Amino acid sequence: MESQLEALKQSFCEELGQARTTDDLEPMRVKYLGRKGLLTSILRQMGSISAEERPRMGALSNALKTFMEEAFASKTGELELSSGPAGIDVTLPGRALRKGGIHIINSVIRELEDIFLGLGFTVASGPEVEDDYHNFQALNIPEHHPARDMQDTFYFQQGILLRTHTSPVQIRVMEKSGPPVRIIAPGRVYRCDSDVSHTPMFHQIEGLWVEEGITFAHLKGVLYEFIHRLFGKDVVLRFRPSFFSFTEPSAEVDISCIMCGGKGCRVCKGSGWMEILGCGMVDPEVYKYVNIDPETVTGFAFGLGIERIAMLKYGVGDIRMYFENDLRFLAQFA
Amino acid sequence: MKLGYKWIREFVKVDRGADEVAKALTMSGTEVEEIVHEAIPRSVIAARIVEVKPHPDADKLKICMTDTGSGILQVVCGAPNCRDGMISAFAPIGTDLGGGMVVKKARIRGVESFGVLLSERELGLTDDHTGIMEIEADLKPGDVLIDALNLEDWVFGINITPNRGDELSVIGIARELSALFGAELKLPGNPLSEDEAPARDVLSVEILAPEGCPRYAARVIEDAHIGKSPFVMRRRLFQAGVRAINNIVDITNYVMLEYGQPLHAFDYTFLAGRGIVVRKAIPGERFTTLDSVERTLGADDLLICDKEKPVALAGVMGGENSEVLDTTKTIALESAFFDPIGIRKTSKGLGLATEASYRFERGIDPAVQADAATRAACLMQQLAGARVLKGVIDVNTYGYAAVPITLRRSYIEKVLGINSFKDADVEAILTRLGFSLEKTDGGWKVLRPALRHDATREIDLVEEFIRVYGMDKIEPELPTFKPAALHTQAANLNDLRLALASMGLTEVVNYSFISPRWKPFFGADALELLNPISDEMKVMRTSLIPGLAATVARNKHLQRRDMSIFETGICFFPTGTGKLPDERQKLGIAVSGQREDAHWSTRPREVDFYDIKGIVEALLPEMTVRPSGHAFYKPGQQADILLGPATVGHLGALSADILQMIDVTDEVYAAELPVDALLGRKWKGVSEIPKFPMTWRDLSLVADEGVAYAGIVGVIEGLGIGELRSVAPVDLYTGDKLPFGKKGITVRLTYQSDTRTLEDSIINTWQDRIIQSLQKELGISLRQ
Repeated sequence: MESQLEALKQSFCEELGQARTTDDLEPMRVKYLGRKGLLTSILRQMGSISAEERPRMGALSNALKTFMEEAFASKTGELELSSGPAGIDVTLPGRALRKGGIHIINSVIRELEDIFLGLGFTVASGPEVEDDYHNFQALNIPEHHPARDMQDTFYFQQGILLRTHTSPVQIRVMEKSGPPVRIIAPGRVYRCDSDVSHTPMFHQIEGLWVEEGITFAHLKGVLYEFIHRLFGKDVVLRFRPSFFSFTEPSAEVDISCIMCGGKGCRVCKGSGWMEILGCGMVDPEVYKYVNIDPETVTGFAFGLGIERIAMLKYGVGDIRMYFENDLRFLAQFA
Repeated sequence: MKLGYKWIREFVKVDRGADEVAKALTMSGTEVEEIVHEAIPRSVIAARIVEVKPHPDADKLKICMTDTGSGILQVVCGAPNCRDGMISAFAPIGTDLGGGMVVKKARIRGVESFGVLLSERELGLTDDHTGIMEIEADLKPGDVLIDALNLEDWVFGINITPNRGDELSVIGIARELSALFGAELKLPGNPLSEDEAPARDVLSVEILAPEGCPRYAARVIEDAHIGKSPFVMRRRLFQAGVRAINNIVDITNYVMLEYGQPLHAFDYTFLAGRGIVVRKAIPGERFTTLDSVERTLGADDLLICDKEKPVALAGVMGGENSEVLDTTKTIALESAFFDPIGIRKTSKGLGLATEASYRFERGIDPAVQADAATRAACLMQQLAGARVLKGVIDVNTYGYAAVPITLRRSYIEKVLGINSFKDADVEAILTRLGFSLEKTDGGWKVLRPALRHDATREIDLVEEFIRVYGMDKIEPELPTFKPAALHTQAANLNDLRLALASMGLTEVVNYSFISPRWKPFFGADALELLNPISDEMKVMRTSLIPGLAATVARNKHLQRRDMSIFETGICFFPTGTGKLPDERQKLGIAVSGQREDAHWSTRPREVDFYDIKGIVEALLPEMTVRPSGHAFYKPGQQADILLGPATVGHLGALSADILQMIDVTDEVYAAELPVDALLGRKWKGVSEIPKFPMTWRDLSLVADEGVAYAGIVGVIEGLGIGELRSVAPVDLYTGDKLPFGKKGITVRLTYQSDTRTLEDSIINTWQDRIIQSLQKELGISLRQ
């Protein structure tokens, strides 16, 4: 039976090769695949072969059937295109739909929001033009403190400025509602700085969790989860003690380089680590400004740069590209 | 701050590699940003010049017969300091000096040279290139220089956070290392032999402004011999990025780097009345600092004066009138504590930041003034052959009474979420950092060292503990939480962006500040930055259109003709002096160029008003428009967008003036409206799908050109025919076939009933009513 099937396939292929018009095809279909066709007649022998052989033969004949059907369909298409006046040139391009897209910065924000929503944070916002009180003082950055050198500030007048970080949203949220507070606040921030690696406007996302019983261990837990969701489970985090006026203890978080996996490369300057965010436990001094008792609640805060995340995720080398709005650049993220 | 590792190691016994030490510092909050390994090739050796002969063919060159320990070589050298018997650094042929410089056998003006004698700069050891290196140490020719002078070193580039003024010194870093590695801190011994004559007999110190200068210590040094500092000192200053001047000035800088205590040396002979007076400046008082700049001072600035005149701007820079010169013999040495805020105000106010002001601003050790002065005096005695008068003149009103800080073990656990640490860990770490502890029930009473101005609260001690103990010892733990949802406003904004993107528009993000040249069109009274990056980024936008127009222009200039872009962002509206502006989120859209990509099946078409209007209608179907007269749009091609009776936005073709300003010749259509208007829309509920068939009727009308389409619709809908479901214009015609001043318009009327199939007869009745009303109200006739 196997040899019969093989012979049938061979004669089918020869005959199909000789077909010149679609009219030639229908008699062929009846001859090979019809109810009284050649394949059916071979299949009638199925009853006479052994039970062990039967499944294999069944599979073989099914495969042949499929093969013949597909060959018919393709040949039909081919003959129709070349023969009739009804044929069109399907190789001409279709009418293009213009594709739009969301700016990479906003899609990264969206992605981060999704991760943090899944971790119990809601999204908050605050004004971009801020007063000195919310941007500095209430964050424990007094006037005439060297910590102010960390941020070059744009001013409109004495005490009114463009926020230099998203941290004032912490204060605004805690002024409105007491603990528990679990928010992230993405948005534009501004610093009086412009060179190859700085633009006077950029984006940050702030995180704040204030509640009874919150510890540094929780801060680590949340940030591990966040980084793992963003960059994958293999990324290692390193908490490096640092200084921010409004958190204590404070830390900078480095992640194992996502380009080289921590072996050391050009992107991580050979160190195997890349700086990703700053964080810490909310400084008790900050609670005083928003009338929260630091003895009853604790909390943590963190902040990271959106452009930096976008840079790492999408390999954008030059921060200025984000705001030049060259459509050839933006289209790559559409 | 940059410091050589070997200098640090003089004060703490740490036998670890530079990399390991750097990592330990970094992981405890003192970030070592870079480590530069300093080494010179091993083939560079000490060599003695045994004979200097003139070059036969060049006045400035000499032939030095040089003993290298393994033979005498002829070396041609141009250094002015070559002389018989001198020991210098010699690089034989084949030495790779780095940077592609390999020493080769050379013939210089006809004389062969078998190697080179090197300056300190050529070896990368200091920036001294006045001659070849003069080796003071007693070396034998042939000694390998890197070993003989112990030259290998590692320079740490250290980034010290603003709270850690105590670390801005070699001893500060050494103290940190002693805590990290459990090693003992060794301070300099300063063996000084003082003269009998007391310093206070020749110098008085009077503080008239104790709040600005709580402590002023001084010493008097006589018979100093001004000269060059020894190599090791100059190299360490060079590593730290401080320029060597002369031994006296270098010593003040060297001790500043060691102790973190800025010092100033006055030439005593220029101090009138043998006295120092510390006082506030008189507003408008002028003073010329060491850098020869005359500065005008304010009432907050602090001056160091003699009995007649100012001689230094306290804590920032000395005066030109009293600086140490080559002729100086007697020195008054200042070692003071100035108020950090006062120094910062002066430094910021004058735009003058120095190594001294940087340290004073961050708070120096208030207990170290006398020791630092003695250290410097001691070095002056050793290195400048000076005599030191007896005693430190020390006027000290710095009131530091240590207030005990309560540190609870339970608090450490509460903040950090760990309890695996031992009490002994806390005690060991804090003790090595200079704190003293007394055990109490459940914790400790802690006294801080005077130099740790940053550690005054319980939380500060928790940080001190964990940064040394190791944050890696805290196990990550997820808190319990409830899942959250995006609030409606933010979610809707995302939906809006997606909707626009799916219509083929690309989102852009422009700066919030724009050029003042937009003022004639947008926001004449907009907020302006006092300190913009440039004039082009000065005005806070009140509209997104300037940014969008600039983006259109930029892309047009990059040969991209066709674009549809949008932006959502904040616009800023002033509300009065001293108040925060009103911030409103807006949506702006701009389209220009061809509507579709070139295709063989269609004729190219430029976008027009109805494209921008179509986009806005898709977002806001219930909107209506009313012709408007904005200066930023072309007359007759613009409208306000209305929701009910309220104007919410506008759309139109950008005006010719704007197109000229942005250097674009194509038409650009724009629209702008507040995001609130788009997001405030409510779901009205599902309406039932009609079961009965629809019927369409087209009416070809001829109207006066002045009749607006909205007027026609108004009349038709005004008849209140409930079964009339929609009116749509399907053809618009003007031309020869109609009388002058007339236009043809075909409207398609769609009828449908919820309760029955409509018969022709009833529809005909409605059609007749419509035609009659149009005729009566608007003078419209049917087209023949």
